[in-house]
Amino acid sequence: MFKYLFAKAEDIPAGSAAVYFGFSSIVWFVIGTGIGSFNAAKLAFPDFVTGSEILSFGHMRQVHVLAVILGWISMAFAMAMMYITPALGNTKLWSEKLGVWNCLLWNVGLSLGLFLLWLGITSGREYSDLPWFIDLVVVFGLLLPLGINVWMTIKTRRTQGIYTTNWFFGAATFMVIIVFLVGNAPEFFQLTGLTEAYMTWWFAHNVLGLWITPVAAAISYYIVPKVTGNPLYSHRIGHLHFWSVVVFYSTPAAHHLMSAPLPEWLKSFASVEGVLILVPAIAFVSNLLLTMTGKWRMFVENIEIKFTITGVMMAIPLNLQGGFQQTRAINWYIHGTGWIVAHAHLALLGFSTFLEAAAVYYGLQTLLRRKLYSLGLANFHFWMLLIGFSTYWISMTIAGLIQGAGKIYEVPYIDVVIAEHPYMIARWVGGTMVFLGNCVWLFNMWKTARAGTVIPAGRLPHELAYER
Amino acid sequence: MGWRFDNPLGTLTTDDQNARAKKLWNEEALGAITEDNNRLPQPIIGLLVLTIVTAFLITFPLWGQRPNAAMFEPYIELMDAPEIQGKSDDEAMAFIVAQVKASGNEWLPKLERHPVEMDDLRLIRDQVIELKNKGVDLREYNIVGNKVVLANFEGNKRPDGTVERIQPWWDKGYTIDIFFIIFFCLGVMIAVKRLPEYDWQPTHGDH
Repeated sequence: MFKYLFAKAEDIPAGSAAVYFGFSSIVWFVIGTGIGSFNAAKLAFPDFVTGSEILSFGHMRQVHVLAVILGWISMAFAMAMMYITPALGNTKLWSEKLGVWNCLLWNVGLSLGLFLLWLGITSGREYSDLPWFIDLVVVFGLLLPLGINVWMTIKTRRTQGIYTTNWFFGAATFMVIIVFLVGNAPEFFQLTGLTEAYMTWWFAHNVLGLWITPVAAAISYYIVPKVTGNPLYSHRIGHLHFWSVVVFYSTPAAHHLMSAPLPEWLKSFASVEGVLILVPAIAFVSNLLLTMTGKWRMFVENIEIKFTITGVMMAIPLNLQGGFQQTRAINWYIHGTGWIVAHAHLALLGFSTFLEAAAVYYGLQTLLRRKLYSLGLANFHFWMLLIGFSTYWISMTIAGLIQGAGKIYEVPYIDVVIAEHPYMIARWVGGTMVFLGNCVWLFNMWKTARAGTVIPAGRLPHELAYER
Repeated sequence: MGWRFDNPLGTLTTDDQNARAKKLWNEEALGAITEDNNRLPQPIIGLLVLTIVTAFLITFPLWGQRPNAAMFEPYIELMDAPEIQGKSDDEAMAFIVAQVKASGNEWLPKLERHPVEMDDLRLIRDQVIELKNKGVDLREYNIVGNKVVLANFEGNKRPDGTVERIQPWWDKGYTIDIFFIIFFCLGVMIAVKRLPEYDWQPTHGDH
């Protein structure tokens, strides 16, 4: 990477930035899930690593969350944008050098931010835990350069049309910058009280709604038609999906605070909008599954499609949960319990991770011109991820229901802790499976870069047979 | 941009512009990816309509779920009843609940969702009595923890210009939702009806 920082633009091979982002994202995924496994062990075994403040759960939780969101997910997004955006415009990335610098700054900025969180320097606000000066680094050092590269690549495309994926990429990079600037306003302007609470959850909701969800979906709009060779089922449904994300996903932030003394009309509004999140979900799932018509065998045979369609199908329980758990009828029961933790992991570790993994698998093979080193290891990774995640999700959902019952019926707290203990162990087992699977993935992709079969010019990775 | 309005359910675009769009759609591959022009399947449309209706129905009947002071007024009145003097808190509470239930109180469904103990009643008792003595409408006051506070609903206006703190049927949140949904549907319909008719499918040339 370093040799390209000051190289002439024409000396930087196309796809370099995407490759660096791709490998960085996997490394951050290993780190993020490793810390997640460590944190889960602390909840399952209370005597595990005690007496050290910086290794306490309160410090490590934030590092885990931000490492996964800004390290794994967002760097995988950046990787996907840097190879998919130009591909869809039949052109090159607008600035490969900006992309390489962007990747370096991303790794340095994120490392600094996580180090500060680790030391306990934090805003103290969930999801927007990073201190304000790191927020500015994220906006101006990480997201804005990425946005400029995406927008300029779309602007300088050599096609007349703009494919659905690039609508999402262009819009999401713009929206996430607004989300970071507005959502962190409580820190910039010392806002407190209810305003701070609302802005905190406005940020948390929209990081998911206007960044992670649409970009993950956009990736699948590329992977499924590209790998199956089928046309996208409907350009029209793409319109419905895109605009319903913008309208219905951007508005229900107040549904995270249904028991707070916000104006009741705001909560009514947010609650209806929260259910309407099902509109983009229905559009997205139906469009992608109908695109698979006649190619369902690839769901078994092809690793990228296996990851993508699994992620797409996870959007169904994700949005059913998300749509209804925020209504007053259900929220009073599950609010503040492990149910929400399970739901958050369904969004980030289930739905979106499977889609990003597909993008990284496909992108690295395409850009390195190397066939995947081992399909067996990739399948091992897939199943470790799926079984590990499912174990986590199911156990935390059950734990959440136990906590909800304990809360409503005023069961003594320690009794609830004892009742949910087996599920905390299951959570740790599931999370650790994910971590181990990711270690194998890193090895597999490293070997792919070093020893994968060379893909001949004019061919695509999924057109060649696996050798291992 | 050529517009036509003689066939709004088919297309809102003039024939010559549609012809250009069809030509481009057939000939251009975006990174070797193509798109079809299928309409939204009718079962999916049904599912979307069901979603929108459900979004209101599942939130509509739950207006004012937060416990209000009026709910607990009969409980508080019975705290001084001679029948419970000298009894344990649990026995006293069971008596109060049974009495209110037998009276057919209008708040029974809500009281079942918000069970309380004698200690809870003691925390709010003086506040509720004070409000009652002021002659205010106790339905406008919510129980938040150990406090009885004016609800933050914005309801109908009274003749004196003040606002009722009881959720009205036209709740501002729901009316904004209706506004959003109408404009969303209009916007998306215009966007997709600017495309060639859905019974036309691109052949994708050689792609």
